[in-house]
Amino acid sequence: MGLAELAQTFDEAWPLLLGGLQMTTFVTVLSLFLALFLGIFTCLMNMSKFAPLRGIAKFYIWIIRGTPMLVQGFYVYFALPQLIQLVTGTNFRIDVVTATVFTMTLNAGAYMSEIFRGSIQSVDKGQMEAARSLGVGYAPSMAKIIIPQAIRICLPSLVNQVIITLKDSTIMYAIGLPEIMNQAKVYVGRTFNSFSTYTLVALIFLLVTSLLMVASSALEKRIRK
Amino acid sequence: MAEIKIKVTGLKKSFGANEVLKGIDLEVAQGEVMCIIGPSGSGKSTLLRCLNRLEEVTSGEILVDGESITAPGADVDSIRQHMGMVFQQFNLFPHMSVLENLTWAPVQLKLKTPDEAKAKAMQLLDRVGLAEKADAMPRSLSGGQQQRVAIARALCMDPDIMLFDEPTSALDPEMVCEVLDVMRELAAEGMTMVCVTHEMGFAHDVADRVVFVDGGVICEQGTPAEVLDHPQNERTKSFLSKVL
Repeated sequence: MGLAELAQTFDEAWPLLLGGLQMTTFVTVLSLFLALFLGIFTCLMNMSKFAPLRGIAKFYIWIIRGTPMLVQGFYVYFALPQLIQLVTGTNFRIDVVTATVFTMTLNAGAYMSEIFRGSIQSVDKGQMEAARSLGVGYAPSMAKIIIPQAIRICLPSLVNQVIITLKDSTIMYAIGLPEIMNQAKVYVGRTFNSFSTYTLVALIFLLVTSLLMVASSALEKRIRK
Repeated sequence: MAEIKIKVTGLKKSFGANEVLKGIDLEVAQGEVMCIIGPSGSGKSTLLRCLNRLEEVTSGEILVDGESITAPGADVDSIRQHMGMVFQQFNLFPHMSVLENLTWAPVQLKLKTPDEAKAKAMQLLDRVGLAEKADAMPRSLSGGQQQRVAIARALCMDPDIMLFDEPTSALDPEMVCEVLDVMRELAAEGMTMVCVTHEMGFAHDVADRVVFVDGGVICEQGTPAEVLDHPQNERTKSFLSKVL
């Protein structure tokens, strides 16, 4: 290993890794976007007065929190298609990007719904009482008084979840998603330049997550004002 | 006899196995200022919070202007709209300016246009001496100022009844006065008021009737002179000897 190897890796692996980073970013952004809605929806179910809805939400969150994302990915990509084939008798297939987005959405959605629930519940009880005592109904009180305060509370945890989901997308390497780690592995398999390649991968992640952290602390400062 | 604004009959309230109110009967007349006093844990705050159904009653009935607020299908929101409430912890909306705190509910409920609400709010802020704080955020105000804003917020709904839940208990001593002064003015204008308070001086000067609650029942009630100066009930005597 020497400078020559570093230079070679940088030259050869960089375009590959950038391609991988594109895939990583694509599945992460799309999954997080979908998870936002799934999280809000699950949170609403979880806080519903109707017990069966709460039950469904809690069951879903229980499954996701209690199993590794690697298992979830394998389940969506391999196990579910087989089950569907058995049940319907068709040759059902799912492509790896769809499976990844599906898995990561389900995963992040569960965690986000818990972040939303926690944030809403941590708004002082007196706020809802004050709004209701003015004669305003539950829904507008929730929308105009509780939710705006809950959003401020949940932002740091939400950014944290974005970082976790971004990093966890590397797990989808295991089902063959051509994301950054997969590209690195392919390149190392060809050249054995482990040190330089994986250093580059780590640095790329550090760069992206650092940008997210800087953005989030700027956001927090703005909200505190 | 003035018109009855609030009529409480056989009110009981339990939290789990703990019976906090054990059968309360109470009437508040139009324009009356009632002060509810009693030791902490006596149920006086719970009683007040039942009046606008922030607490669900276990049994009994509460009529506001002859309309039941405790009935299963009661239109609680519309009753609350003319029944203002002031809390111990102020509970101002921290993400809204002082002015928005006042105008939010009447505009949200379409009782006033934004312009009408703003005019009314500025008039009320001026009255509580905080007109120059209209654009300030609540956190930048002192406790006494926050509580005066909270009173103005309740008044912005044009209520004919005001409920006060220990409005000065969370205040530094030097700020108690400014809040009590606003309440005094309100009483002088003929507002129907029910105040849970530890301010015996205020109760003595302003109340038309003082109600002493202990152990979930009304032990004694009457004019301030009767209850505070010449208490008959042993529990009232014992309580007053500790706080006066």
